[in-house]
Amino acid sequence: MVSDSIAAMPIPSAANTKNPGKKKRTNRSAKLKQCKIDARREQWLSQSAVKNKGCKDGVDDDSHAPPSPAVKHTNRPLEPLNTGGRAEEDDGLIHHDSDSESPTNCPAGVLCGTDSGTNFTGSSSSGGSSSSSTSSSSGGCCSGNITEEEDEGDDDDDDGCLDDWEAMADALAADDKRENPCPDSPPVILPCEGSNVGSPNSKSEGVRFVPWGSGNSRAWRADDAFRPQSLPNLSKQLSMPNPDRRCVGGGPWGRASMPSSCPICCEDLDLTDTSFLPCLCGFRLCLFCHKRILEEDGRCPGCRKPYECEPVETEASVLGGSLTLRLARSCSMIERS
Amino acid sequence: MEVRYNPAAAADNSSDHLRPPASSKHPLPSPHPVDTSAVSKRLQKELMALMMSGGDLGVSAFPDGESIFTWIGTIEGGKGTQYEGLSYKLSLRFPLDYPFKPPQVKFETMCFHPNVDQFGNICLDILQDKWSSAYDCRTILLSIQSLLEEPNLESPLNSYAAALWNDKEDYRRMVHKQYFAGEALES
Repeated sequence: MVSDSIAAMPIPSAANTKNPGKKKRTNRSAKLKQCKIDARREQWLSQSAVKNKGCKDGVDDDSHAPPSPAVKHTNRPLEPLNTGGRAEEDDGLIHHDSDSESPTNCPAGVLCGTDSGTNFTGSSSSGGSSSSSTSSSSGGCCSGNITEEEDEGDDDDDDGCLDDWEAMADALAADDKRENPCPDSPPVILPCEGSNVGSPNSKSEGVRFVPWGSGNSRAWRADDAFRPQSLPNLSKQLSMPNPDRRCVGGGPWGRASMPSSCPICCEDLDLTDTSFLPCLCGFRLCLFCHKRILEEDGRCPGCRKPYECEPVETEASVLGGSLTLRLARSCSMIERS
Repeated sequence: MEVRYNPAAAADNSSDHLRPPASSKHPLPSPHPVDTSAVSKRLQKELMALMMSGGDLGVSAFPDGESIFTWIGTIEGGKGTQYEGLSYKLSLRFPLDYPFKPPQVKFETMCFHPNVDQFGNICLDILQDKWSSAYDCRTILLSIQSLLEEPNLESPLNSYAAALWNDKEDYRRMVHKQYFAGEALES
């Protein structure tokens, strides 16, 4: 949010001049953005559902109602706050990127999104009518708003999704409007009033948002059942490096589960050898070397456990923890080669 | 040598009688025909692996002279340790039944260390009872390298070094003193 508002002011002129090249890129990323917006919409929907339940006014009946002129009319008071961004379409990309990442990064991120959704409705209903009057006052909170407008422009030539989203936003904004009387919501309005100076205030705005958010809106947790499918899957990203480490053969030696040659004597493994798994740890070796080891100390080179003396399953279940720990260590030594 | 038996038979063995009496089946346990070609094959492969990657890790080794069973290795002292900037020479002698038996590894450069005696013998479990045929020259050298900065003070060969270990200043001085004394002796 902070960065948004900082960027919002100076960029527009420059962005508008070098438009043609940028437009292409914008269109290309429109799909992606639509996806993100969808996510935000879902997020919004469930949030408002929660809010409506908790709100004292109890206006459940209208919470998901289709947008009506009346609803839009209630938003009028918000208009002037948003108009500043009308001309700044092209830096919407920038804003949107930072904005869309906020749900995962900052606790107040959801609120930033919230704000933008609300404002967007206001300005879109008013179109370009609300002119120059308070463009400066919108400094802080218009950033998200710009984003949505930008998307509006893109979506028009991409698909018809926008109407849906717009209508939804209207409905949501209506809810929000009605909730403002609720004791915990005033901060939503405050930032708009105090944001006329730009960056310094927008920071405080972000701060002021927090208490409001701590009430009933929070970022999605990875395990949240209501988390929109379209949000990037964090757990998946986090687990990316893991496949390397995953043990294929049931043990740390698994990655080398099909070595082309015996690690002991360096002779090629034949078919019989490759189907031979003498130890639960997954350390493979050729039958010759295995036999030779059996004749000596009879311990697996991979884990130093005696070969096949006891039923392997019991041994593994009893010693599971220490076994794997030790294996991992010796494994790493080997795998470097 | 012997006929290869298939794994199914081996598995049967193990499940039928819990301990396959390998020794009773082959009453002559140890006189393995010395298969030097197999050992040299393995050693050559180790050498290749070491030349490919060992240098980055501060360890290196190369056969000493004609025989591939005797190597000279070098270990750089780890950065930030008492041994930083010092380079130690070691000799590795691989037995004919390598890798089923560990190689004999000795410091050739004088090394002041709790687990190294005045003759350069190293007290390191993986070179004795903890040896595994899955280890190789590279892992040995890396183990010794890490032994330098993490001595086992429980069973010191050089008790003076063990006693001095906590006195970083004096320990470092002794390390350098012995290192350069050894170098002077060599040249």
